[in-house]
Order: sequence, then structure tokens, then C-alpha cells
Amino acid sequence: MTPDNFFLLATLLFSIGLIGVVSRRNLFVVYMSIELMLSAINLVLATFSRLHGDMHGSVMVLLIIAVIAAEAALFLAMVVHLYRLKRTVDSDDFNTLAQTKEEI
Amino acid sequence: MLENSLFGILALFLLGGSLGMIFFTQTLFSAISFMFAMLALAGMFALLENSFLFLAQIMVSVGAVVVLSMLVIVSVNLKASNLPHESAKGRWIIFSALLVTPLAMLIYKALAHTHTLFEKTDEGYGSLKMMGATLFSDWVLPFEIVSVLLLAAMVGAIMIGRKEKRHDT
Amino acid sequence: MIYIVLIPFGSALLLGLVYLINPKKERYHFYSRVGVLSPVLSSALALMVGFEILAHPSDAHFHITLFEWISIGEFKINFAFMADRLTAVMLFFITVIGTLIHIYAAGYMRGDKAFGKFFSYFNLFMGSMLLLVLADNPIMMFVGWELVGLSSYLLIGFYHQDAANIKAANKAFILNRIGDFGFIIGLALLFVALEGHGYTFEAIEANIGLVERSMLALIAMFLFVGAMGKSAQIPLYVWLPDAMAGPTPVSALIHAATMVTAGVYMVARFSFLYNEVPQVGEIIAMIGAVSALFAAVIASYQSDIKRILAYSTMSQLGYMFIAVGLGTYSSGIFHVFTHAFFKALLFMGAGAVIIALHHEQNIFKMGGLRKQLGLVYGTMFIATLAISGIPPFSGFFSKDAILAVAFSSEHYLIWGMATLTAMLTAFYMFRMLFIVFFANASSAKPLNPLPKTMTWPLIILAFGSATTGLLGLNEAYGGTNLFENFIALPDQTYELSHTSEYLLGFLNILMALIGMGLAYRLYAVSAKEPRANTVWRHAVIHKFYIDEIYDFFIVKTLRHLSLIADKIIDNKVVDGTLNIIISGYLMAAKLFVRLQNGKVRFYALYILAGLAILSLLMLDTLGGL
Repeated sequence: MTPDNFFLLATLLFSIGLIGVVSRRNLFVVYMSIELMLSAINLVLATFSRLHGDMHGSVMVLLIIAVIAAEAALFLAMVVHLYRLKRTVDSDDFNTLAQTKEEI
Repeated sequence: MLENSLFGILALFLLGGSLGMIFFTQTLFSAISFMFAMLALAGMFALLENSFLFLAQIMVSVGAVVVLSMLVIVSVNLKASNLPHESAKGRWIIFSALLVTPLAMLIYKALAHTHTLFEKTDEGYGSLKMMGATLFSDWVLPFEIVSVLLLAAMVGAIMIGRKEKRHDT
Repeated sequence: MIYIVLIPFGSALLLGLVYLINPKKERYHFYSRVGVLSPVLSSALALMVGFEILAHPSDAHFHITLFEWISIGEFKINFAFMADRLTAVMLFFITVIGTLIHIYAAGYMRGDKAFGKFFSYFNLFMGSMLLLVLADNPIMMFVGWELVGLSSYLLIGFYHQDAANIKAANKAFILNRIGDFGFIIGLALLFVALEGHGYTFEAIEANIGLVERSMLALIAMFLFVGAMGKSAQIPLYVWLPDAMAGPTPVSALIHAATMVTAGVYMVARFSFLYNEVPQVGEIIAMIGAVSALFAAVIASYQSDIKRILAYSTMSQLGYMFIAVGLGTYSSGIFHVFTHAFFKALLFMGAGAVIIALHHEQNIFKMGGLRKQLGLVYGTMFIATLAISGIPPFSGFFSKDAILAVAFSSEHYLIWGMATLTAMLTAFYMFRMLFIVFFANASSAKPLNPLPKTMTWPLIILAFGSATTGLLGLNEAYGGTNLFENFIALPDQTYELSHTSEYLLGFLNILMALIGMGLAYRLYAVSAKEPRANTVWRHAVIHKFYIDEIYDFFIVKTLRHLSLIADKIIDNKVVDGTLNIIISGYLMAAKLFVRLQNGKVRFYALYILAGLAILSLLMLDTLGGL
């Protein structure tokens, strides 16, 4: 249990979260991947807080958790709204801003 | 020794949970894997002797976020027929994994080798008392701003989630 | 002195503006008064300047600088005027004869709808010609040179309703331009060779030794190319016969007395340059002689009265170039001087005949006009005697001087051609006179009456043709050659004994009489239009097909080249290249459009890709893991 281990773990979590955001079409999975990324950052901050011996890092974690909560509310409200519009949670179905060939 | 094995198990849950989250097709399974990952993360915080964060993580991340998302998943009524057809999921994941690798390497390189070992902490590290002391002395302004942020997010969520009223006369 | 030039330009502007206000209104009196007044004023001022110069020693120069026009490093050109003796002579006859022709034109062009426009252009021409002779440096002279070319174009194409006149005007301008191209090259070479020692005529004269001979020869040739175009020598002469499409006063002023002599003036002005390279002068004299003979031959078979006079002008210009080519600049200018008088007179008389016969120009449709147009006949008879070189009229003295120079400088071929030309000159001029005034009348129509403004100038010019010869009387005949002494140009002198001179003079008179006699025998009684029945006649009547040759080799080639440039190079090559580039862009755009598919996931992927590249670079810089 060395700090390097924690950092390695956090890096892996962050990457997995990033992969999830990019690869998956399901909006919920995208949301959870974003949360995962934020949680990885939390882990890094907590580790540094432990290393420095004071609570500054932890305070930051707390604030980030608050932001996570806010973001949860908003993201899920949007998903509900979009579902009402199009009856789907596939992110690929929301492409009205695409450039079609005729518009060149 | 105990710490190391605990760390190992928790890490396994963490990674397993997150991998499961991105691999499962069924949304609910993804959510449950995510919940396990968050719990394991709470355990990590505990391992770091940060009791307050352990509690906060469980309360917010698991209790609020995961529960809320499960609520929405269920209310949206995702059946197998409603799910998006992600046929190329595996290929996408591999491709993006390739792209993410340099970034991850860079991040790890930046973080690692800063300190080699954990030191002994004071008594009262990670307690609510110490947290409160730091929060309300050095971090008052961000604290206030975040509370405003929460307010705004609340209002925004209500606005977005409202049912549209049709004006028929 | 400035006003000499400014007055005609000012009146041209005034007339033009008034004309433009209402082109349809007939303001005969206003236009004619303003139009004639300006050359009159210029003549008065020119005479004053002339007297002033007379009072000073022979190499005096008067300068007036208006402002600095161009100043680029060492290249400084002022808008300045200079008057010396040569200028005084040119000013005199340009303004006086110009005034007379303006008066004549007021009568000739009366009733024409574009009367005001005509006088505006006419005055513009006067101003330009005066600018040319009063110039202080070659660039100013070139400005005047171009302006007279422009005025010539405007005036030739005056009857613009007929497309043929426009073509003639274009031809004149284009050939002039070709000459100007050579002229500009000459000027540029001269400037470069002088390397910043100033560019006025006096400065060039002072520094002429700096330029090496071969360069000077080249410059002299190029400058002469300009003269070839302006003064209608071979090969750039083909515009002059066609230029007769303009009104007769235009032919009288521009294409007889003044513009076409600008080339001769230029050579005389650059006399210090041409003196250094006598070989070029010989070439000039040869070209002059050939042109003279060539034109005389063609003139002998022409039927249009103005064309005969046009070729006659070209022929006489050839004489002038013989003179200046062989280095006797004052003889050349003297012939310019006398030629102006009798040629203007001939054109004006021809114009009178044309008007009287309701715009008929074919001499074979005229005849027997001696009694009805007595005044015109009398004055034209004097002019014809003058041009044929019969003493005591002016043409004899000037022509004799040139022939004497050719003989005594041992250029016998030139002398021979010139003497033959003299005979032909007398022949075709008297042919014209006899056919128009003596032979059977072709039509018995009543004649138009001629206004007084057209007849008085004829009388004055006849007087001039008769007497100006005395100015150039050289010692052999008892005079002191006032003209040559006055003008003081750096002439070459050739030795000729008095007896040789008398013999030559006698030979000239003999040649003239032979020509006159031949014409009398062939044409005085009955005049028949020459038909193209022999090969020789065919060739001559069609002007040796030179126009057709030019058209075939040069004009058609240029047309083909421009067609190629337009259809192939412009359309296919240039546009094609552009189109390839454009379609390349379009294809690339279509490719890139597929990237913008509106799906957020893909956009995130692109960001990730960018991040990956950046991270790789950073890792590379930081030296790996």
C-alpha cells in the first residue's frame, strides 16, 4: 500500500471512465463513466491529503462530491427530458446538428 | 500486511466494478457494478484513514447518485427492445483504450514517485472535527459558492425535468 | 511662354465642356470664335518669343520650369519648357499655319453637327504639338508625342458613324504605338547609359561623351523607330493613306504640316547624338530615300485626290530624312518649313474642290474646273510648282539643298533615287493638277459656293510658298542662307563647288520639267482612270499589296495567338488548374463532412485523439515513462 499503488489505481479508473464516455451509446453508462472519472480524481486528492497530513485535499474531495450530486440531478433530468422527446436513450439518435451531404 | 491484502481486495472490486460497468449491455447491471465500485472506493478512503470521506462517499455517491440513477433507469423502463444496439462496443472500447493509453501514462508519470511511503498521521486526522476546522476557515468561500451551485442545479433540474404544458385555448 | 501651350489646352477644355453641355445645339459663332482665337493668341506669343530669341546669341536657351514632375532617386523630370532657335522656327510655322488652317476649318466644317467637338480636338492637337516642340527634356517631348498621336486618332475617326473610319483611326494609333515602343526603349537606354547625369536636352548634350558608341548607335536606331511610326516611313507608313478618312483640315494640319514632321524635329533635336553615329544616319537616309521613291511610284497611279497628297507627304518626308540622316539638320528643317506651306495649301485646295463638288474625291470624276474655281486653281498651281522644285518657288531651294548634300557626301545611290523621285513628284503632282483643272469635265453639276474663310488662307499660304524659299538661299545663288545661320544646328558640311551646284540645280529643274511635260502629254486633254491591266499596274494600284502582307503575316498571327491565349490558355490551362484545385478542396470537404455526424460520442473521440497525440509528444519530450 504505497502511494504509487493508489496513483496507479486512480489512473486506471480515470482511463476506464474515459473509455466508457467515448465508447458507449447508452446515456446512463456515459453518466456513470463521468462519475467514475470524478471519483478517480477524488482518490488522488485523498491520497495527497494523507501524504501531506492535513485536510486540504479532503475538503476538496468534499466539494467535488457536492458537485457530483448537483451534476447527477441535472444529467438525469436531461435524460428524462430527452427520453420524453425521442423515446430513446441512445446518444447516436440525437444528431440533428449533423452536416448532411446536401448542405455542402 | 492486513492493509495490503485489504488494499488488494478493494482494488479488485474497484477495477472489476468499473470494467463491468462499461462492458455490461443491460443498464441495470452496469448500475450495480458501478455501485460496487463506489463502495470499494469508500473502502479505499477508509484505508487512507479518512473517516469523514468514507461516510461522505457512501452517503452521496452510493446513496444519492446510484440510487437516483437506478430510479431513473427503472422509470424509463428500459427493456431489451428499448436498449441501443451497440454492436461494435468491443471494437470501440479497444480503439479508445489505445488512444487513452498515452494520456494515462502521462498522468501516472506526473503523479508517481512524489513520495515513497505513507507517514504516520496525527491523532484526529480525517475526523469530522478537523474537517470542519479546515472547511470553515480556509475554504469558506468555495463552500459558499458550492452551495449556490447546488441551489442553481436544483432549480435547473426542476426546470429541465418539467412536463411541457400545452397551451390550448 | 507657358501660355503658348496652355491657351490651346485651355480652349480645348472649354470647347469640350460647352459641347458636352448640349451637343445638339448649334453654336457656330461661339465655337468658331473661341476655336480660332486660341491659335491666334498662340501665334502672337510665339512671334514674341521668336523675336526675343533673335535678339540673343545663337546658342541661347530660354527655360521655364513649372514644377517637378517625377523624382525617383536620380530620375528627375521637370515639367519644363525650353526655347531655342530650332524651337522658334518650329513654333513659327506651327502656330501661323495652324491658325490659317483653323480659319479654313471654320468654313469647311460649318454645318457639321459635331462642330464644337471638332474644334475642341483641333485645339487639343495644337496644344500637344506645341508641347512637343517646347519640351525641355525627352520625357516631356514624349508626352507631347503621345498626345499628338491621341489627337490624330480622335480626329481621323471624327466621322465615327462609318466603321471604316474607326478602323483607319485605330490603324494610325496602333502603328504609332509600335513606333513609340521603339522610342521608349531608346529613351530608357539613353537614361541608363547616362547614369544619373540629368535628363534634360542640355544635360544630355553635355554628357553625350559618356555613352559608348555602340550603345549610342542602338539608341539612335530605337529613337528612329519612333520617328518611323510618327513620320510614316517604311515600314510603319501604312496608316497615312488610310488617315485621309478624316476631314480635310485634319489632313492639312496634322498629316501634312505638323505631326508627321515631329519625327524630323526629333532627329534634329537630338542632332548632337546623331552626329556621333553617322552610320545610323546613313541608314536613316537610305530608308528616307526608299520611302520617297516608293511613295512617288504609288502616287502616280492613285485616283483619290487626298491619297495622292498623302503619298506625296510620305515622299517629301523621305527627303527630310535624307537630309537629317546625312547630318545636315538645317536643310531638313528648312524642307519641313517650306513643305508645311505648300502641302497645307495643297490639302486645303483639295478640300475646297471636294466641297465644291459635293464631297467627291475621285479625280477622274472631276475636270475642267479651271474657270469655275479660279482662285483655287491659281493657288494650287503655285503650290504644285513649289513642290515640283521649280524656281523661284520655295520647294526648289529646299529640295536642291538636300540633293546637293546627297551628291556631295558621295551617297550617289541616295542621290539617284532622290532625283528620280523629284521627277516623279513633278509628274504625279501635275497629273493631279491637270486632271482636276484641265481635262474634260466629267460632270456638269453646279458647284457649291466656297465661304470666304476657306479662300483667304489659300492666298496667304500661296504667298508663303512662293517666297519662303528666299530664306534658304545659299551663297551659290547669291544669298547668305539666313535660315541655316539662324537655326544654328550642328550640321555636317560638305564641299561642293559652285559649278557643281549650278549643274545640280539645272538637273533638278530639268527633271521637274520632264515630269511636267509627261503629265501634260498624258493627261491634260483627256484623262482616263488607269485600269489594272498589266502586272505592274496591278501591283502599284494595290499599293504593292503591303497592307495585305502585313495583315497576313502580322495581324492574323497576332489574332491566332490571342485566340489561343483566350480559348486554350485562359479557359483550359488556367481555369483548369483552378478547377482541379477547387474540386480537390470539394473532395476533401466531402470527406471531412462525414466526421461531423452530430453524435457527441464521436466528437469526444476526436478530442481524445487530440489528447493522445499531445500526450505522446509530451511523453517523448519528457523522455518516456
